[in-house]
Amino acid sequence: MQPKTRLGKVVVYALLAVCSMVFLFPLIWLVATSLKPIEQTMTFPPTWLPRGPAGQIAPQWVNYRDALAAMGGTGPTAVPFVRFLANTILVCGLGVIGAVFSNALVAYGLTRIPWRGRKGLFAITLATMMIPFPVLMVPLYGVFKSLGWIGTLQPLWVPAFFANAFYIFLMRQFFRTIPEELSEAARIDGCNEWQIFWRIILPLCKPVLAVVALFHFLAAWNDFLGPVLFLTRKPTFTLALALQNYQNQAGGVPWHHLMAASAVVIAPIIVLFFLAQKTFIRGIATTGLKG
Amino acid sequence: MAWGFWVDIICGRLMMGGMYGRWGVGLIMLLVLVLGCQRVPADAGRVTVRYWEKWSGDEAAAMQAVVDQFNASQDRIFVEFLSMSNVDRKTLVATAGGDPPDVVGLWLQNVYSFADRSALLPLDDFIRSTGQTTTEWQSRYAPVYAAMGEYRGAVWAVPSAPVTTALHWNKKLFREAGLDPERPPRTVQELDEFADRLTKRDPRTGQIVQMGFLPQEPGWFAWAFPRWFGGEYLAEQQIVIGTQPGNRAAYEWSAGYTERYGLEAIRSFASGFGNFASPQNPFLAGQLAMVLQGVWMDSFISQFAPDLEYGVAPWPAAVPGQENFTLADADMLAIPRGAKHPLEAWEFIQFVSTANRQAQRVEELTGVELLCYRQRKHSPLREWSPFFEQHHPHRYIAFFRQLANSPNAITLPKIGIWQEYRRELDAVFADTRLQRKSPADALAFCQSRISESWRWHQRSLERRQQ
Amino acid sequence: MTTGERRHVRNGLLFCAPWLVGLTVFTGYPVVASLFYSFCDYSILQAPVFSGTENYQRLLSDSVFWQSLRNTLLFALLSLPAGMVVALGLAMLLNTGARGLAVWRTIFYLPSIVPVVASSMLWLWIFNGKFGLLNWVLGPVWRWWGATPPAWLADPAWAKPALALMSLWGVGNSMVIYLAGLQQVPVELYEAAEIDGASARQRFWHVTLPLISPVIYFNLIMGIIGTLQCFTQVFVMTGGADGAPARSTLLYALYLFSVAFYDLRMGYASALAWVLFLVIVTLTIIATKLMEKRVHYAT
Repeated sequence: MQPKTRLGKVVVYALLAVCSMVFLFPLIWLVATSLKPIEQTMTFPPTWLPRGPAGQIAPQWVNYRDALAAMGGTGPTAVPFVRFLANTILVCGLGVIGAVFSNALVAYGLTRIPWRGRKGLFAITLATMMIPFPVLMVPLYGVFKSLGWIGTLQPLWVPAFFANAFYIFLMRQFFRTIPEELSEAARIDGCNEWQIFWRIILPLCKPVLAVVALFHFLAAWNDFLGPVLFLTRKPTFTLALALQNYQNQAGGVPWHHLMAASAVVIAPIIVLFFLAQKTFIRGIATTGLKG
Repeated sequence: MAWGFWVDIICGRLMMGGMYGRWGVGLIMLLVLVLGCQRVPADAGRVTVRYWEKWSGDEAAAMQAVVDQFNASQDRIFVEFLSMSNVDRKTLVATAGGDPPDVVGLWLQNVYSFADRSALLPLDDFIRSTGQTTTEWQSRYAPVYAAMGEYRGAVWAVPSAPVTTALHWNKKLFREAGLDPERPPRTVQELDEFADRLTKRDPRTGQIVQMGFLPQEPGWFAWAFPRWFGGEYLAEQQIVIGTQPGNRAAYEWSAGYTERYGLEAIRSFASGFGNFASPQNPFLAGQLAMVLQGVWMDSFISQFAPDLEYGVAPWPAAVPGQENFTLADADMLAIPRGAKHPLEAWEFIQFVSTANRQAQRVEELTGVELLCYRQRKHSPLREWSPFFEQHHPHRYIAFFRQLANSPNAITLPKIGIWQEYRRELDAVFADTRLQRKSPADALAFCQSRISESWRWHQRSLERRQQ
Repeated sequence: MTTGERRHVRNGLLFCAPWLVGLTVFTGYPVVASLFYSFCDYSILQAPVFSGTENYQRLLSDSVFWQSLRNTLLFALLSLPAGMVVALGLAMLLNTGARGLAVWRTIFYLPSIVPVVASSMLWLWIFNGKFGLLNWVLGPVWRWWGATPPAWLADPAWAKPALALMSLWGVGNSMVIYLAGLQQVPVELYEAAEIDGASARQRFWHVTLPLISPVIYFNLIMGIIGTLQCFTQVFVMTGGADGAPARSTLLYALYLFSVAFYDLRMGYASALAWVLFLVIVTLTIIATKLMEKRVHYAT
């Protein structure tokens, strides 16, 4: 619906501008607070710009270095920030590889091979999407405990190699758009299913593979409940969990460090978004639309 | 789009040659799985004992000094000291997951519930391996501390640093209000009166700028108010929080502060309080004239408000004739069930529970005395070394030592569901001081909930004994 | 079955093998096990002991359970309708053909991909009664009304609205879905309606809404499922699992977590989990029945 009148257009732009400010304010505030010395974070009325002793604008970039250094604690058992970053990248990277391959395999099996049980299996898949995580949480914890994986990163990325209902659903929508004749012709030519999958279908699916990769990376980067449940040793923490280290300190929360560290954890996601905007948007849109 | 470009390149390369492609993928996945898989690491050389502790900042540094001393004194065991927030919860989760630390620094309130859940290892066998009976071994501590770790006929934890609480008051503010700076309130009525005189409001806005006393600051001992007023938590295996009259008196007293000064006024005043360990701590900043705090307070005062003139006294009597009332608590060390190195963990705990009785200089302090000296707390041991007694940095350390041994010193009730009970008591305190419920209602609610919980708990224990 | 069909079945199963394993180990077994545990006394440090329907009986008399359920439903009631209105509103704004669509869309979408831990801490700070951004901005409004600015997360009465407000910041995801739905509405229909003399409001109610009703339905169901399981925000903001202040932000998932891992009552937690499942299914069915008449799928 387009506004016809000039007034209508102005109203639209005005609304957009106001809403944008409202949405951006918190992020700007995050960055502003991260550059202030601690005393200036707790002033009323709040100030936007960090000031130096003579009243000049003096952003404290050193906050970032201090925040990252303090993230893993202090003293001989301090864990460097790089470790948390490495853990997170490991979990995300391995998870993405697992998610892309396993879901592609399963979606292929459910859509490109005409076999009896596939409709039933898909129905079950859909049904599992309704099950809330708390129902699975306790026994899953028990499974990982008996495997001896509590305290390691395995519980965070190994399940990605065994497919996931949501990504199966996403990939299935896409696989169905590829004409059946392509597979048929390849079968007649004597290709086995793996060759059809690997050589023909998969290269056509790069968009949806990218979407799944992106979604899983995002989910793994932001995941908090998983790390809280399964990680017990500080050197194995991911960024999301390490961020919480600042919170419960007896000396009070160092807001400037907390905001700086949060900015560091958020930044890669924003960069990723800018690089892959179209993929993001297309992916989300596909989830909500039928077929 | 840059993303698609890279996906193209990678997929293209992988699919190029049949052989290279498939092997390449296989190799990558193998590498990935090998690198990605982690087992809980095994240590070579010294046995590493993981020790999780709740302290941070200076208090953690004090324990680190003891750990360093232990590590330097022998070469079989290396204690890895980690300071963590929510150490009790994290320990429970880790124990449940089969990967707990070897030594954990718990709060006393955790010990009984953890023991009931079989989350801790009883220390009796370890004690016997030193050649002493439990009683002999425990006799090193002042009686109130020795009794703390004992529960259901076994010793589950030993004290590391004691906690004794007292009324701290700001002498300068007393002087300004026309009160004798050397005379603290001796009864709760006096406490309320003094608080009235010490409360100041801004003449223009009517906002409170200074208060004499505020029960919610720090609010850590609010659970003890019922006992303070002569109430009881458990009598003859029955929960009596809602029925004993002393309990109600306690919460009526604390809710009385909200009534007298106003809910909004207090809320607005309290939201300006800074963090505990900072110069903006309300007592340190002179916003609160009197506060119930622990023996650690002197350390924080020297750090953040060295010019503060203050005094310490027992809790004002809430029940007539109640002399030298205090709450005695302690930080405890325990060994979680499933710890990988319990014997080595015990050796460290042993080290922390001893001290050099002949220490004449600061370098000769060891074990628990070193810890308590650095943390400016009194030692839980019955006997103190000469140096510790005479050169302790805490101005009032002798007073705290005496107070801890007072016959009216109460400690935590040994109830298996104490953590939950305490949470409910905190909820009663919050609900009554925020005027959401009347004390009678809040206590009745607490009573019904906790008696239910108590019943389930008993039933659960019975079931396990079968 | 012919050889061909048998071969297809074998291949189908082979390709679906990861999911079959995953389904069994990570979904099937836990579902069955948690149902079993819900009838047991289980502390994970000791073997489960069968206890009949004790956990469910206990649930019914547990007032904290009822409080957490009430908190969660209230929270859903506050955040879901508001979220849908805001998301749809923003999507419609973006759908007007204004210039710089990509920029606006980015700005609105970005907050929804910020890690929840980071955004919870940020909003904890924004909601601070004394030094927070929100009270500074809204302060004059409150004072004009003659009221004092609320203490948000420190005040039990305002804590849930604060959470709902925070959730509005993350509507970017639903907004994108609504936008995609709106973009699929054929322009000709609007033009036809205009020719027929329909006002803007009538066009909205009778053209836009019916045609995006599948999207609304989808977002509603996803919203119900997601909101009822909300955990990370309250966990981070209340520093543990208490639902401070005075349990006003004790949401169901938080209580469940606390019962499971802080009280180590895994049997009881499993019972709580199954009740949550029932509540979600019930609400989903109710939502479906309510929307049945109104959801029009484009033929």
